[in-house]
Order: sequence, then structure tokens, then C-alpha cells
Amino acid sequence: MYALSMTEPDIGRAPPPAALNDYTALLLRVAQSRDKPALAALFNHFGPRIKSMMLKLGASDALAEDLVQETFVSVWRKAGQYSSQRGAASTWIFTIARNLRIDQLRRQSNKPYEDLEKLELASDSPSGSTLVEQNQVIDRVTIALELLPPEQQEVVRLSFIHDMPHAQIAESLGVPLGTVKSRLRLAYGRLRPLLEDLQ
Amino acid sequence: MTIEHHPDITTLLAFSAGTLDDPYATVVATHLAMSEGGREALRQINAIGGALLNAEPEAKLTAGSLDRLLDTLGDDDRIDVMPHDERTVAGDVPLPLQRFLPNGLEGVRWKWTGPGVATADLGWGKDGRSRLMLLRVGAGRPVPEHGHGGQELTLILSGAYRDRFGLFAKGDIADHDEDVEHQPIAEPGEDCICLVAVDAKLTFRGRLMRALQPLFRI
Repeated sequence: MYALSMTEPDIGRAPPPAALNDYTALLLRVAQSRDKPALAALFNHFGPRIKSMMLKLGASDALAEDLVQETFVSVWRKAGQYSSQRGAASTWIFTIARNLRIDQLRRQSNKPYEDLEKLELASDSPSGSTLVEQNQVIDRVTIALELLPPEQQEVVRLSFIHDMPHAQIAESLGVPLGTVKSRLRLAYGRLRPLLEDLQ
Repeated sequence: MTIEHHPDITTLLAFSAGTLDDPYATVVATHLAMSEGGREALRQINAIGGALLNAEPEAKLTAGSLDRLLDTLGDDDRIDVMPHDERTVAGDVPLPLQRFLPNGLEGVRWKWTGPGVATADLGWGKDGRSRLMLLRVGAGRPVPEHGHGGQELTLILSGAYRDRFGLFAKGDIADHDEDVEHQPIAEPGEDCICLVAVDAKLTFRGRLMRALQPLFRI
């Protein structure tokens, strides 16, 4: 298990699949020219993935479908706010789906997130990573996540995809909360150099 | 404003994943509103969610799902335009806190809870598990014990305090687990006002009397 974790992802040789580049470019087309075929292509790619995520939280099939719909209504309406500063298409769409999930499944306020988005929009600087760079980071992080030791991968997934608070992860795995946090710290330590390429 | 003390990375990860109770999320968002470096860290962390979504298996959508979306959108070309919001830059209350403090820090209705100490309740998390509050400590006074277990997030809004971890000033956040012992003392010269999220479940465990007492034991 640790032999695997010692293998650094071969980020130098793995070019990003062209299809992934396309999604961010497609989102930009929706943003800039209200391009519905581009929105449809995004829906076909991300819709089933968002549904899968929502089902893992215990949403019924019908509710998961509704949340997919709502996510894409938001994507359409908010597309004008999208730019490369917002991250790759998958990152931006994840945050929209996450905000819906906080509101509708956790029944908590997503206002803290909306307020931060407003601040981000007010303070966008003209420089920033290009879309291609954003996509490359996503590809590298995807590979790095798969190369994490299983117990680290597990806590990251339970948190981001299964929407479980850290205390609940500890409970369901039968480990102390401190163990969950140290696994997350180790995982972040491995991902951080890749994430910092975004700067 | 130089911010020296940031949230624990696990707290930022939970914020990005969206799993924090509202009081904690509000404290983190308020801190991030004051910290460009913190917002940059969050932007990076959000890419973890993006990568995981990308790698998610596909759950089959019901037939006609795309048509349903396109029908909903119809010929609607409206877009949400974020108007330039003066509130994001003006005033001494950061945007994520403004919905709790419509009249600013001057308009807070403080409740005396001990010598030199006042508090104001701002709200509760889901199922009353955690609470959000303001804490004001007189200049030079000790900050009372305010976490009785669980995670405790304290953001300095004005003034400063010092403890064994150093000086905490405006924008700094103290992110402590229950096992951390420290005795902060407000710096002389100015009251220290903090935004605090604490675990309420543990606070009120035990005797009913506990629930009737102010949260801050002096």
C-alpha cells in the first residue's frame, strides 16, 4: 500500500485528455454566447456524475434528478459570472452542486458561500491562470487522488462526495476524529503542490 | 492588515466540501472575506471537488432529462448579473456577517455575562448543535473559557488578544480542538471583539441547569 503512495504521479508525461479541455471551453461558450448546444454537452457529461453524487447522499432518484436540473439552471443563469478565475468547469460546477446540496439536502444556509462569491467577483484581478492550466491541474489532481493511500482517498471522498462531516466520518469508520483529520492533512500535503500550480 | 493565524487546513477542506454547520461556515467565510490569501487557498482546494466530480461514475439520467432542462430554460436568456455591491467593500462588517449585524458592530445588543465580558447570540446551527455569537472582552481582561468541548473557531473582528500561540489581531482566526488549553488576555487599549462558533451539544450536556446558564462560565 505504501509502495503505491511513494510513486509520484507521472504528471510530466500525462497530457490532459482533449475532452476535458473541451468542457471548460464549452462552459466559456455558454458564458460568452449563451450557447445551448454547449450547455447540452456539459449536461451530458456532468449531469450523470452530479446525479451519482446526490444519490450517495441518500437523495431519492427523483430528488437527485431534480438537483441535476437545478444545478444546470444555475449553470445557465450564472454562466455570465464564469471566468478562468472561477476554476475549471468541473470545479465551478462542483461548487454550484455543493451549494444546492447544502441548501436542499443539509437544509443549511449557503449564504456564506454566496457572499464569498460576490467578494470574489468584486475583486477579480485581470491576471490569473488560463483555462488550459486550470484543466491540467484538474487532470493532475484526479490522478494524484487515485494514487493516494486508500485510507486517505476514503476520507477525502467521504467528505467531498458523500457530504459527511469529519465527526461523522470518524464515527462510520470507527476511528478517532484526530485520525480522520491527520489522514486529510496527509492527503492535502500530497495534493498541495499540484493545487498550487493554479497560482 | 496582515493575517498571521489561519484556519486549520482540515477546516478549510470541510468548508470547501460544504459539511460545516452554519455557525462554523459563517466564521470561516467572514475570515476569508478579510483574507485574500485565504481565498486563494480556498480556490485551490475547490479543485479537489472538481477533480472528484470529474472522476465520479455516471448514474443514468431518466429519458428526456436534457429536453426537460431545455424546456425549463425555454427562450429565457436572462442571466444573473451580480450588481456591483457597495457592501462588499464598505463598512467595518465583512459581507458574510452583515446579515447578522444589519446595524453594524455599533448596533449590537450586548448581554453582560461577567466582569468586562459581554456576549450577543447570533444564531444556531442545524438542530441546535452549534452556535454563533459575538464576544466582547474589555481591554486587558482575560478572555473567559468559552469552549466546553468540540471545535471552537474564534475570529478577531477588532482589538486583539494574546495567548501562548501569540498575538491574535483583526482577521486572525483561532481554530482549536477541545483538548487545547490556553488563556487569552485582551491587549490593553481597546476592547477585543470576536466572532465565535462553538459546539453547543457538548455545552449543554448534563444537568438541565447548564442549559439555563449563560454559555460563558466566569
